Amino acid sequence: MIDAAALRGRRDRADRSFRGLAIGAAATVLLVLGLIAVTMTARARTVIGELGVSFFTSSRWSPADGLYGALPFVWGTLYTAVIALVIAVPVSLGVALFITEVAPRALKRWLIYAIDLLAVVPSVVFGLWGVLVLSTVLPRSFLAAGVVLAIMIIPIITSLAREVLETTPVADKEAALALGATRWEMIGASVIPHSKGGIVGAVMLGLGRAMGETIAAALVIGSATGQITLDALAPGNSMPAVIANSWGEADTLQRSALIALAVLLFAMTIVVNLIATTIVQRSMRRARGTV
Amino acid sequence: MNRLAVALVVFAGCGGKAATDTVTVNASGSTFQKAFQEVAIVKFTKAHPGVQVNYGGGGSGKGRKDLADGVVAFAGADSPYKDAELTAAKGGAVLYFPILLGAITVAYDVPGVDKLQLAPETVAKIFQRDITKWNDPLIVADNPGATLPDLGIVVAHRSDGSGTTDNFTKYLAKAASSVWKLKSGSTVEWSPDTQAGNGNGGVAQIVKSTKGAIGYVDLSDAKASGLAYAAIKNATGAFVVPTAASASAAGDGIAVDDKLLFSALDAPGAAAYPITCQSWVIVYANQADAKTGQAIADYVKFLVTDAQAELTALDFAPLPKSLQDKAIAQLAQLKVGK
Amino acid sequence: MNVAELRAKPSWRSVKSHLMTGLMGLALLVVLAPLVSVLWSISSRGLGIVTSAFPAFFTAEIPQISRAAGPGMGPAIVGTLMVTLGATLVAVPLGVLGAIYLHEYGRAGKFARLVRFMATVMTGVPSIVMGLFVYVMWTLRFGYSAFGGSLALACLMLPIVIASTEQMLRLVPDHLREAAYALGTTKSRTILTVVLPAALPGIVSGSLLAVARAAGETAPLLFALGLGATAYNAHFFDGINTALSQQIFVNATSSFAGAQERAWGAALTLVVLAFSFSVVARVFVHARRR
Repeated sequence: MIDAAALRGRRDRADRSFRGLAIGAAATVLLVLGLIAVTMTARARTVIGELGVSFFTSSRWSPADGLYGALPFVWGTLYTAVIALVIAVPVSLGVALFITEVAPRALKRWLIYAIDLLAVVPSVVFGLWGVLVLSTVLPRSFLAAGVVLAIMIIPIITSLAREVLETTPVADKEAALALGATRWEMIGASVIPHSKGGIVGAVMLGLGRAMGETIAAALVIGSATGQITLDALAPGNSMPAVIANSWGEADTLQRSALIALAVLLFAMTIVVNLIATTIVQRSMRRARGTV
Repeated sequence: MNRLAVALVVFAGCGGKAATDTVTVNASGSTFQKAFQEVAIVKFTKAHPGVQVNYGGGGSGKGRKDLADGVVAFAGADSPYKDAELTAAKGGAVLYFPILLGAITVAYDVPGVDKLQLAPETVAKIFQRDITKWNDPLIVADNPGATLPDLGIVVAHRSDGSGTTDNFTKYLAKAASSVWKLKSGSTVEWSPDTQAGNGNGGVAQIVKSTKGAIGYVDLSDAKASGLAYAAIKNATGAFVVPTAASASAAGDGIAVDDKLLFSALDAPGAAAYPITCQSWVIVYANQADAKTGQAIADYVKFLVTDAQAELTALDFAPLPKSLQDKAIAQLAQLKVGK
Repeated sequence: MNVAELRAKPSWRSVKSHLMTGLMGLALLVVLAPLVSVLWSISSRGLGIVTSAFPAFFTAEIPQISRAAGPGMGPAIVGTLMVTLGATLVAVPLGVLGAIYLHEYGRAGKFARLVRFMATVMTGVPSIVMGLFVYVMWTLRFGYSAFGGSLALACLMLPIVIASTEQMLRLVPDHLREAAYALGTTKSRTILTVVLPAALPGIVSGSLLAVARAAGETAPLLFALGLGATAYNAHFFDGINTALSQQIFVNATSSFAGAQERAWGAALTLVVLAFSFSVVARVFVHARRR
């Protein structure tokens, strides 16, 4: 005989344990991030203890002499990401505007599908293409890496920008056209001002992705050591690329230096992503508010 | 339904059986000897079906590091441990088994130039960027009568810690001592405006796909990739083309110490190719696990005996007879299961 | 000037507008050109080896002699499937449960807000950092294995699954939950029998997109799987393994024609695999809409 109270007790227990399970699953996010922060920083401390601030300020990276300066890799990461943005932003915005403002309905669906397809191509495939096809016309360099990274972030920026652009109220656009504005003037007068925030956020997300991308950059950047130059055709190196290429044979100090690079990269991408997310969320909220 | 269940049981049974019978020997290290390892593994596993050998490459530095960490069962290396590295090794004393001699080519891609001669000083100046054009007077002086284009030189080197780099820079430090400034080692501080590739294959690929490129690649990989390579001036003043035979000539009468360590670089003979280097496999002298240990011992024995016949076809040089005898004698020091 | 005259005379303003429209079209070409070039390269160069050695390319072991020409990629295909399946088994249940907490229990509470924020942070962690992290936490202790690769990929998938699942849970109308409560159903039963089934197609599609992304990842696998595996390894927790993305990376830096051919074949296989995941995901989205 099971009485009602016992039944409720058992049901409550089941209910509570399910809730506990769900909390535990949610907490894994905190656990993983916490572990990354703690274990990685702990290992990075070896090289910082050995070399101090010069790890961040020196441009010499010479494992044979125990010298590890992160500067050229930070430069390479930022420079290739900026090149990628310079290429990707106008192209992405052009495509996003084309899709939302110009393309007929039937074409629009196919274009969105093609952009999504581009997003699914794995980065290593772009790397393979970069190293065996692109390199025959554009030698390994900052520029080559920037081009491949641009191709990879275009779908991200395009699809986010498209979503933002589509939130422009039809009334705003029709008002501009009714006043005699051309299509381009309408875009400039109502679409862009409305979506500015969201577009900036999309660009920042693209920047974050470009900075963290490893394999494609590792294959086409040229793996030069100690290169800090504005010459886009010079071979260079980036933080993720040097980690991927030299982890295997590194000794304890070099491994600590590579992990310190990873921590630095982690921090840089997180800052960029946080700014991006904040901007995107704020502008989405504002956009929804006006609809 | 029943048949499916039976099939599943049989399948599971096979999986279990394979798991207990196969001995896996993992190794990593020198990409210089990788081509030889690949062929040797195929031949060896045919005769020893219960053994699976994996040679991962990754560079001599990685091999030594992995062996010291106990991640692999043996390492391939073109240069030995430094004493400090060895004290950190998990498995105690190690044995070096020389397995081959091979030429390091200076490979290049210059349109219209299919023959090139270089003196060690010229090589040194090219690789440290003192010379940046293919029609530089120094290169012209080494190649009387040849027409060289006004083309920029692209230097390609290794991005990973490499025994090939170590031997190549040791050679330049020795044969072009008055010129070479970059020191020697498995990684050196190259000029920032040079490119790097992963493994001998990575360097070969850069040379192959970049006009005006020059890089150092082992003969076996250079030939298989269809690269052109230079004749290098040796200690007697003769320009010698890298071949298995000229590498073998460099191995004649080498001084070998009791650990079987030696260097074939800048050898004295008139027919000797000067940038000839040697490659070892490194194993722990005491193999605690009887099964894996026996498999390692069998494989090492195979490398220094029967597998030597495979080397010439791969453009490597076999060990000189005296050295091979010493390597075979050293097998007795490999203690298994004790 | 009357209206008809104004219309007839193309002003600078309308020329400019057409010009900008043209530029947008040009941007589209700029995007499509590399897409076409990449797809053309992998299909023209990949199909060669895949069809000339069919089906051996998909079943044969990887040649131990890397300069040899010919198939296959069998172990890498199995490796990719194993590693991705393992990652899915870890990340999807955790992610769905985590999203259930966020939307059904935590809502706008402090802890839920913190987790949501941190999940966003986690989405931005570069994949190579995840790879290093798993190497330090797992591989250094337990050695190379497919499972290590799964862990690294699971870390990358987790925040994506959480975000997409929460989005889907948000779409489940509250009156469904209220109806279940009114019948005396407990909260956990309501979630499992009413809310989840309603959101299922969306959750599946979101997870599949995460899987498609994970299947192509390379950097996290470089450290976890080990190098040099050419044979099948069915042991999930033990021994070096390989994956398509790793094979493409390794063979892309090779100078041998045969190895490069295999890289193209592997790229074709991987792209088809990733595309089919995303197509299936799309089918689920349509199923939900219907």
